[in-house]
Amino acid sequence: MAVEDAGRLMERVRARDADAFEVLYDEYHRLVYGLAIRVLSDPLVAEDVTQAVFLKVWSSPTLFRGGNFAAWIARVTRNRAYDLLRSRAIRDEREIPESLPAEDAIEDTALANVTAERVRGALAQLPPEQRELIELGFFGGVTQEEIARQTGLPLGTIKTRIRTGLRRLRSALEGAVTV
Amino acid sequence: MTPHDEMLDNIAMYALGSLSPGEAAEVAAHIETCKECRAEYQFMRPAVTAVAYSAEACADASTGAAAPSPLIKARVMQRVRAEAGQQRVPHVWPAYLFAAACLAIALITGLAQIALNARLISQGQTIADLTAPDARRFAFSGGEVLTRGDHLYLAMRDLPAPPPGHVYQAWTLAKGAKTVAPSTTFLPGSGGATVVRLPETATTLAAVAVSVEPTGGSKQPTTKPIALVRI
Repeated sequence: MAVEDAGRLMERVRARDADAFEVLYDEYHRLVYGLAIRVLSDPLVAEDVTQAVFLKVWSSPTLFRGGNFAAWIARVTRNRAYDLLRSRAIRDEREIPESLPAEDAIEDTALANVTAERVRGALAQLPPEQRELIELGFFGGVTQEEIARQTGLPLGTIKTRIRTGLRRLRSALEGAVTV
Repeated sequence: MTPHDEMLDNIAMYALGSLSPGEAAEVAAHIETCKECRAEYQFMRPAVTAVAYSAEACADASTGAAAPSPLIKARVMQRVRAEAGQQRVPHVWPAYLFAAACLAIALITGLAQIALNARLISQGQTIADLTAPDARRFAFSGGEVLTRGDHLYLAMRDLPAPPPGHVYQAWTLAKGAKTVAPSTTFLPGSGGATVVRLPETATTLAAVAVSVEPTGGSKQPTTKPIALVRI
């Protein structure tokens, strides 16, 4: 779905249009669920997160300030999943943070043409030692010290590999990334 | 490595979200004042967000990727439509649920002609059961069995069309029984999402299974079950 299409649908959601919301659900529920299950490794909890995230979209549509809806909802999902992961209280009903960093909407427009398939392909091209650290950092929801503890690698090595890997990933997505 | 090089490494960790709150605050403050580091962050940030996309569940269940139960959508949309003041009557349910519920009702009764009132009552009961907080869910790969009291439902997602001349058939295993009994036959609903109400009394059962059978159904499974769940 084009960025502007999702934006228009969110405008309708703000006007309490349930049909527009349903289109968004159909389009993005696999992204939300896939990300949640990747972080939490629990299908049932991932379904809870999916439900919570979409109900949050419905109840607080103004949290989306424009830009790439997919990137935004991915961030909301990640925050929610991290909350559960870090608290280890999977029944916690804490709300998703009401505000997100202001620059997110601007940054996310860069990803207008990026697809899951393309990112998977780009990640697969990274050296395993870089890809694994990026994925551990992103999906694991852990700090760099915890990454060092889990991998046994020096912190400097971890930082360098992640930075190099992210730069390669960014370059591999060149063309799809529009900024 | 200069202190500034170290900061560039920290920016990658900041973009990834792997710094402690104190470290993150330090990097965020630096980005505000350093043009080079701000540019580095803006370059990194889309790559990090793109990683999220890689986790998107595939539409094709045969790849092994997963998707949430169709019941999640039913629950979300029930609340959304209620709050929107657009609570729909049964004939405008989400397409997959409407088609699946109609199919289930038709199959259960085995009648081509169903009194309109009876149909609406049955549909209303179905949606009430599917969205009830006290419903019990038993997940399996590709779907779940849902029970509420004596009522029994089978929900499956991404269900492909069966081979020509074949249908899906549900099987039930009564508590204490050693062989399964034939239940409803059905076809996938719209988009492969299927919700079927089974006529058996849920509280008397130990398990539910699904297999592909010739049109008209079988008395005993003739193929390996594609789903089996204990309840």
